[in-house]
Parts: sequence; C-alpha cells; structure tokens
Amino acid sequence: MKQRIARTVATLLALAAPAVLGTAALAADAFANSVKIVSSLPRTGSANAQTTSMVNGIKMAIAEVGGKIGDMTILYEDWDDASPQRGNWDPAVEAQNADKAIADTSVVAYIGTYNSGAAKISMPKLNTAGIVMVSPANTASGLTKAGLGEANEPAVYRPSGKINYFRVVPTDDVQGAVAADYAKEIGLKKVFVLNDREVYGKGVAGAFEARAKEIGLEIVGTDGLDAKASNYKSLVTKIKQAGADLVYFGGTTQTNAGQLAKDIVSGGLKAKLIVPDGCYENAFIEAAGAKALQDRCFITFGGVDPKLLKGKGAEFYENYKKTYKAEPEGYAVYGYECAKAILAAMERIHKAGGTIDRAAVLAEVGRTKDFQGALGTWSFDENGDTTNRTFSVNTVKNGDFATVKVVQ
Amino acid sequence: MAERRFSFFTPGQYAVLALLAATPFIDLAFPSIQLSGPMRTVVVYAILALGLNVVVGWTGLLNLGIAAFMAIGAYAFGILTAEIYPFQVGFWWALLLSGAIGAFAGWLLGAPTLRLRGDYLAIVTLGFGEIVQDGLKNLQTITKGTEGINPLPKPTIPFGAHIDAALSKVGVGSAATTDSAGTTATTALSATESVAGALPRWFDISSETPARWFYLYLILLAVVICLCRNLEFSRLGRQWFAVREDELAARCMAIEPDKAKLKAFAAGAALAAVAGALFASHLASTGEPANYDFQVSILALCIVIVGGIGSITGVVLGAIVMVGLSNVVLPALTQAMQRAGIGSTENVLSSPDNYKYLIFGLALVLMMRFRPDGIVHTRKAVKK
Amino acid sequence: MTETEVFLQQVIYGLSNGMIIALVALGYTMVYGIVELINFAHGDVFTLGGFLALTLVGALGAAAILDPNTLGDSSHWLLLVGLVVTAGIFCGFLNVAIDKVVYKPLRRAPKLTQLVAAIGVSFILVNIALFWGGAPMEVFGGGNAAAASKDFPEILEGSNLLGEDSNVVLRLEDLAIFAITIPLMIGLTLFVNRTRLGRGMRATAQNPVAARLMGINTDRVISATFLIGGFLGGAASVMWAIYNNTISFQMGFRAGMDAFTAAVLGGIGSLPGAMIGGVLIGLIRAMSDQYIETRWTNVVVFAVLILILVFRPSGLLGLKQREKV
Repeated sequence: MKQRIARTVATLLALAAPAVLGTAALAADAFANSVKIVSSLPRTGSANAQTTSMVNGIKMAIAEVGGKIGDMTILYEDWDDASPQRGNWDPAVEAQNADKAIADTSVVAYIGTYNSGAAKISMPKLNTAGIVMVSPANTASGLTKAGLGEANEPAVYRPSGKINYFRVVPTDDVQGAVAADYAKEIGLKKVFVLNDREVYGKGVAGAFEARAKEIGLEIVGTDGLDAKASNYKSLVTKIKQAGADLVYFGGTTQTNAGQLAKDIVSGGLKAKLIVPDGCYENAFIEAAGAKALQDRCFITFGGVDPKLLKGKGAEFYENYKKTYKAEPEGYAVYGYECAKAILAAMERIHKAGGTIDRAAVLAEVGRTKDFQGALGTWSFDENGDTTNRTFSVNTVKNGDFATVKVVQ
Repeated sequence: MAERRFSFFTPGQYAVLALLAATPFIDLAFPSIQLSGPMRTVVVYAILALGLNVVVGWTGLLNLGIAAFMAIGAYAFGILTAEIYPFQVGFWWALLLSGAIGAFAGWLLGAPTLRLRGDYLAIVTLGFGEIVQDGLKNLQTITKGTEGINPLPKPTIPFGAHIDAALSKVGVGSAATTDSAGTTATTALSATESVAGALPRWFDISSETPARWFYLYLILLAVVICLCRNLEFSRLGRQWFAVREDELAARCMAIEPDKAKLKAFAAGAALAAVAGALFASHLASTGEPANYDFQVSILALCIVIVGGIGSITGVVLGAIVMVGLSNVVLPALTQAMQRAGIGSTENVLSSPDNYKYLIFGLALVLMMRFRPDGIVHTRKAVKK
Repeated sequence: MTETEVFLQQVIYGLSNGMIIALVALGYTMVYGIVELINFAHGDVFTLGGFLALTLVGALGAAAILDPNTLGDSSHWLLLVGLVVTAGIFCGFLNVAIDKVVYKPLRRAPKLTQLVAAIGVSFILVNIALFWGGAPMEVFGGGNAAAASKDFPEILEGSNLLGEDSNVVLRLEDLAIFAITIPLMIGLTLFVNRTRLGRGMRATAQNPVAARLMGINTDRVISATFLIGGFLGGAASVMWAIYNNTISFQMGFRAGMDAFTAAVLGGIGSLPGAMIGGVLIGLIRAMSDQYIETRWTNVVVFAVLILILVFRPSGLLGLKQREKV
C-alpha cells in the first residue's frame, strides 16, 4: 500500500515537473519599457499553413519599425488557439488566450482570430477589458454589422458599448456579391452553391446566393459538404445532373476546396468554379494542381495581387520575398496589414507625446484613416470594418494566380 | 463488502479537491498565467470523464461517443438560456434540465443497442457521436448551425444577490454602490482581498472574478464526485460491477444486466451533458458543433485510462494531467521558447508549435508503457 | 444525364471508394482478430504510405514517368504496381515496428490501455506526416507549407474510357482499383485459408493459449498479422492517392474511421465481412450524396450502421459469439 502511494506520488511529481518549469518560464516576462502585441491563431493542425504566413507578415511589419516605437520596445508573441487533441481551434484555448492577454498588462493589442467562431468567444472578453482586437481573417458579417447575423449581433460582442474590434478583411456580404456579379458578367446562368458548413464558408456562400438571386442567376441546387471526405465525385455527378454551368464553393483550401476542384475535372463536369479568398494562396494551387484550375476556377480576394501593388504595397512585396524567400500570399498581406495598422497607431501616439497603453492604442487604432498600406488606402469605418472595397477576381494561369478583374 | 452509509469523500478525493482548490493561488504569484480559466476547463473535462467512467470503468461498456452527450448538454443549455430563444430559464434550471435531457438521450441510444457486445457497442456510440454533431450542424433553424449560440449566461449563486443585499443592510458591505470587481479585475482573489475595504458583491460571479467562478465549478465537481462515490457503493453500483465482471453470473444473482447497463448509460450521459452545459457557460457560447467531435470523446477516454479506470480520484487526476498538458503546459512551453528566441516559422521543424502532436502522443504512449493501469490503480477494476 | 446514367455512375464511384475502404478495413479486422486491439494508428500508418509514394514519384521524376515516349505505355502500370509494393512493404514493417515497440509490452495490460497507447501512436504518426509534408521537396511543387494538402500526380491517363461524349465517366483509375484490390483480397483469403501461417493465424485468433500449446509461435503469427495488415494499408494508400490525387497529413483520420466502421459492419474479425462492409459504406455514401444530400451523408451512413447492428448484433458476417463464462 505504502509503495503504491509512493509510486503514485512519484508519477505525479514527474508529470508536474514540466508544468512547474513552464510556469517559471512564464513568470519571467516583464521587460522594462516595453509593450506587447500578441496574435491568437490556430497554429496546430490543418490551418497551420495559412497562419504561418500571417505570422510571417506580422513579424515583418514589426521588424520594419526595428521593433521599437520611440524608445518603447515592441514585443510580439505568437499564441496558438488550437490544441493538439482538437487539431483545430479550441474554444477553451481561445478563451484562455483572451484571459491571458487581459491579465498581462503589457499586452496592448490582440491580433486574431482566424476563425469567426473563435472571435465570438474572445470578443466580449477583450471588449470589456478595453484591448484592441484586429482580425486578419474573420469575415462573418454579423461580427460587426447589424442586421446580417442574429438579431442581437453585434451588440452582444460589445458589452462595454464601445467598439474594440477591427478587421482588415472585407466582410462576406461584400465578397459574395462581387463573385455573383462576376459570374453574371462572364455569362454564367445556372449555379450550384456549396459551402463547407463552417461559419466563414456558409456566410460567404449565403451572401453569394442572395446576390445571385437578385441579379437573376438560377440556383439549381445547394448543399453543404463534408470537409473531411476523401472525394466529391458523387456530389459532382449530382451537380452534373442538375445542369449547372457554375459551382460556387464557400470554403477554404483547408476545407478541401482543392479536392473539389479536382473532382469537377475528373467527373467530366464542364462548369466553372468560383471560390472566395480562403483559397487565395499557393497551397490551393498546390492542393488542386494547376491543371484543374487553369482558366476554369476564379478566386475572389479583398485586395489586389501583391505583385500589382504600387508604393507601400510594392515595398511589402519585395521585402517579403527577400525575407522569407517565397511569394507573399493573401494571408501574409492581411497579417502584415493588421500589425502595420497597430504600429502606425502607436507611432501617432508617440509623435503626439502620449503614452502607449491599452486605452490610447484602442482609441488611436479606431482613428485609422486613409491608411496607406499594402492593401491600398483604407480607413476603419464606424463598425470597425475596413473601407477597402477593392476586390480582385483571379484565375490560375501557368501555375500562378493571374488577376482577371479588379472591382473598386 | 457491506453496504456503506452515505459518506462524502475518501482521503484521496479530499486531496485532489484540495489540489484543485489551491490553483488560484498560483495566479496570485504569477498573474500572467491565469490558471482559473484553464482550470474551469479541467473541471468540465473531469465531470465529462467521470460520466464516461460510469459507463467504461464501472459497467465495462466501451463508449466512443461521449462527446455527443456533451454536445447535447451544451446545446440544450444554450437553447434554454440564450436571449434569442423564448425559454431563458436561467443557469441552474438549464443545468438541471440539460442533465435530464442528456440522460434521456443516453436512454434513447441505449435502449435498442445495449445488447451489442464490446466493440460493436463502441462503434455504435462513435456513430451516434457523428450523427449528433452533423445533426446539430444541419438543423440550422434550431441550433443556428455552425454559428454557435451566444451569449450564454454565467452562473449565479442562488440567493447571492439577496445575501449581498442583506449583508449591506447590516453594514458589512454595500452591494448597490461600489463596483470594485471591475477595478480589481486582474486579481484573482479579489473577493477575499477586498474584505477590509467597502465590501461589494460577495456572491457575484463574472469574468472579472475568475477565481469565484472556478470555485463554483469546483463545488459542482465536488458534488459530482460525492454523487459518484456514493453511487459506486450503492446497490446499483455493485450491479454495474457485477455486470462488468460477468454478465451471466450477474444474471444468476437476479440482476438484470440490460436494465443496469441502461442506467449506467443514462447516468454517464447525464454527467456528460452537465459537463457540456458548464462548458458552454464557461465560454458564454456553445461554440460550434465541431467542438464536440470524436476527438473530444477520445480525450475523455484518454483521461479515464491515464487517470486510472474506475477510480474517481484517478479520473480527476487524469483530467488535470491531460487537459493541463494540452491547454497549459504546451502553450506555456512554446511561449517560453519564443521568448528565449528558440524556433522560427521558417520551416516546419523549427516551429515549436509543430511538435505538440508529437509530445501529446508520446506522453500517452509513455504513460501507458510505465503506468498501464493509470495513475491511480484500483484493485477493483479487474482487467478484461 | 438520365436517371439510369446517374445511378450507374454512382455505383461506379461507390464501388471504387468502397474498395479502398475495404482494403484499409482488412488491416483493422486482421489485427483485431488476433490481438483484440482496435488499432487506432492504422489510419495514420496508411497516411505515411501515401507520403512515401508521393516522395518516390517525386524522386523518380513525375514528368519523365508520365511521358509515354520515354518509358512506353505499360510503364504506368509497372510504376503503379511498384508503388503499391513499396508503400505496402514500408507500412507493413512500420506496423510491425510499432507493434514491437508499443503494443507488445502491453499485451497483458488491460485492453483499453492498449487502445490509448494506439491513440498516442496515432498522434505521433500524424506529427511525422506533418513534418514529412513540410520537407521542401520538388515533389510538393516546391511548396513547403507542411499542413497543406499535396497534389498527387496522375499516374494513369485520366481520359474517360467510355468516350469523351459519354455522360458516365469510367476512368483507368477505377479499373486499377479493381485490378489491384481484388487480387489482393483473393490472395489474402487464400493465404489465410491455405497456408500454414494462415492456419496459425486462425488458430491464434480462436484461442491464443491453445494455439501456443499446439506449438504455434504466436509471436510470429502476430508479427505476420501486423505485417500483412500494414501492407494492405500501404497498398490502399497508393490506391487512394491515385484515385483522389491528393494526400494530406490528416487523411488517415477519415479513412481510418470509415474503415473501422466497415470492419465492424461486416463483423469484426471476419475478412469477407470487412470487404463487404467497405463496399457497402462506399455505396451508401454515393447514394446518399446523390439521393439525399451530401450534408446528411455521414448521418445516413451511421444510422444505417446502427440499424444493421440492432438487427444483426455481430455484424453482417460476424459469428454470434457466446458470452464468456
């Protein structure tokens, strides 16, 4: 009996050791005269490819100011809101990230989240604490705009009544409409609308469907697919039978857009495919194979191809290529732009002689106006949304994205 | 063994509850860790795993779909409380009703399937988990699909407001005027600390008072433990053991295995549903149906086995170890590495985040290798 | 497309997908039959087989292989068989190694302990696949985004065998799946029923203690089982890769789940049961996609499964087992 207890205690101690070490490491966090920007993105699991490029973008933005505003050091921490046993964003981890940010008084800005569902959990917390939150990826309209989500949205995310949540990406309702207009423009008539049954995909597919009906496209069917399925050949057959000349898929590379594109080709369905900005990344071409996309798939993106950017954008493009030895992706630009907007706000506070703290950064980020960034010139509007309405419609040519149209 | 009379806890259970109760003090020492949040998750998973333990540990039925009942509990709680639905019954009623709905769902699944043996039952429960998850996603008009139901209410202490008012009347505090909860937001133990000053709402729980919130959850866990402990040695508990050890012999002893199994299934499902309700309240949102997928069932199973199948103390310890590992230790380690400048995002091998699966998996394999019976080994759980 | 054409098409897809599931399911069911372990890591062993195949294709140079002028037409089939064998052998030995290192020391431990160890192995293998996918190899189109899905080049020519104008699509890949899966299944059945080792397997499955008393080296039998189960998983991963043209580090999850379901549906431990179960699940998926809705397909599959098990508690072909006394 005694031995058993001793063994149990020994096991517990062995298990507790790393916990204590981690704790001790955490405790040593305060630098004098520094503020912290944190990001909370799913870093474990299938979204890793996308979030890595966002983190790269954020890191580059901070490096560009030399990691300092005045004599204030800007620290950055890349937090994971996924957990290994989930392999995807974990609501409990997102909640504790928000709590951690609130408790750590040196945190002045929170970049995140990637999933709109996660934003719904951390938004009210950060709002109460008055920390500015800038998202590089959430596009669900209801997060900021009244009348597009639930009746109580977005007020439920703003318990303090003030706005602390901003985003540099245009919302689903705008993007869906751009796609539908483009479909009509190139003469497509019958569309089958698919979504990945996640917040982002459903939102943008719903917006597309609404706009398509408005401008007289015929909806020949709708369905939600299973992102983990091995292939969509059977579904493609059903679409073929419905006689669609366009498939709209509200989803991302991560939710298997590449497989769908392939199965459309192999199933002999002669229809175009339109996908939203969740697919505007090289990983999409990598997953689908350039052949399946060439001139047949169109990708909408809230901004223009980094290669075509001028001024600030061109600088970003060159700099990114030099630093990471890769072409920057849509996601990298969004991450970069988030960090840039926050840093610019800090710079303005510093110039005005103020102290860089939570309240000041929150107020100043909200005043972002005519900001010249890598995505063009834009401001945050009264909801916290970007005023950027520039959209590009891209296709794939010779294994690379090629812009076919820019919508202002 | 003779039928025991009611008793609260064993020494081991007291110890593990005390261990949990001590965690908010770590927050006082290191405010940036914020253990009260993750520890609430630990409590939720402990209750979930205790539910699973009734089914797997005591009755010997492999259930791979416990997350389904957690989802049912969370969504029932959401629908019963959120302002966009007509019910809004409040935290406590919703918690009880979620448990009841969970038990009913367990009974519903169990009734036709419990005569299946071992792994056939396992796949049925796994399938049920998938059905519930997809059903919640697709039945959009009821569940809001993937949007999640929010905001959900935080727990309230029954009569807390009345007690506060009474206290303020006798001059101990002034419930109506001051709001020091907001100003001491970062101090986990603001309640005890501000005793000296004008005392505000002692019995008010919010995200500014994570420690109080945690202690309420801990009390609920204690209630569940006490319940389980007394169930374990009740007539029903011994029927479950008998069924687990030998169904035929149990039948000879005038035990009806099907009925006993059904009760175990319903009890486990009820606890899982309560865990789901607490989870939803903790997050103020149901999250999305995918948050209750197969991986959650797997985690719950790992907790039970790692902790020590059949042992209440072990299961709670298992929850601390497993959830602590994935939600506290691993993030803390990667953060510490970042601060030390180790790792980068340049390639897959250099980023510490990319080792999380590996560490998690390795931990499971090693624990099974060196403690095959779990942290707490019960003699009662005879291997099968 | 007429209704008949649609139905025919769905049957083709259902069978092809089902065959792949069946191949993975055989690995589950064999291991289960011998050591009563639900080998959760099997799906991830399968994943690694796919990554090996893609690496080989890349190393050999996909372009050269696909050019009929350099190697001639039959080379496609040769390459395919080569990949099946290599990936199969790799997965087979990987499976044996996992058994030796992880499961064997736990053979006398409670069943659920082994199950959790298998879950642990599954996490480790997922991580290895993630690292593998991050290797900046030319095969991944130069991209090293580790978590992204990888394009698997078309090894067999992708045109429609029924003519480009036909509404029903039947491609070489569909035929390849039959051409490779069916001989493998027949071979396995013959092996288990006709050879000495196969007889040892059946004996061990029935009663390991008695088998040992009869002079059967059960350790060897178990290793052989893991080897063959892994081989079939590796072969299945190549079939999956040429059929879907995509591999990803998490592909083993769904494949494993479908296969496990198939194995149970057919009667766990029964080889023909696993085959029938796999094909049945493939067909149910296809029909549900077509005639119900894709978003309900998972629900339909598992609802059918539960219904079948309610009426046949030991699966379609499983033996009615007596309660152990």
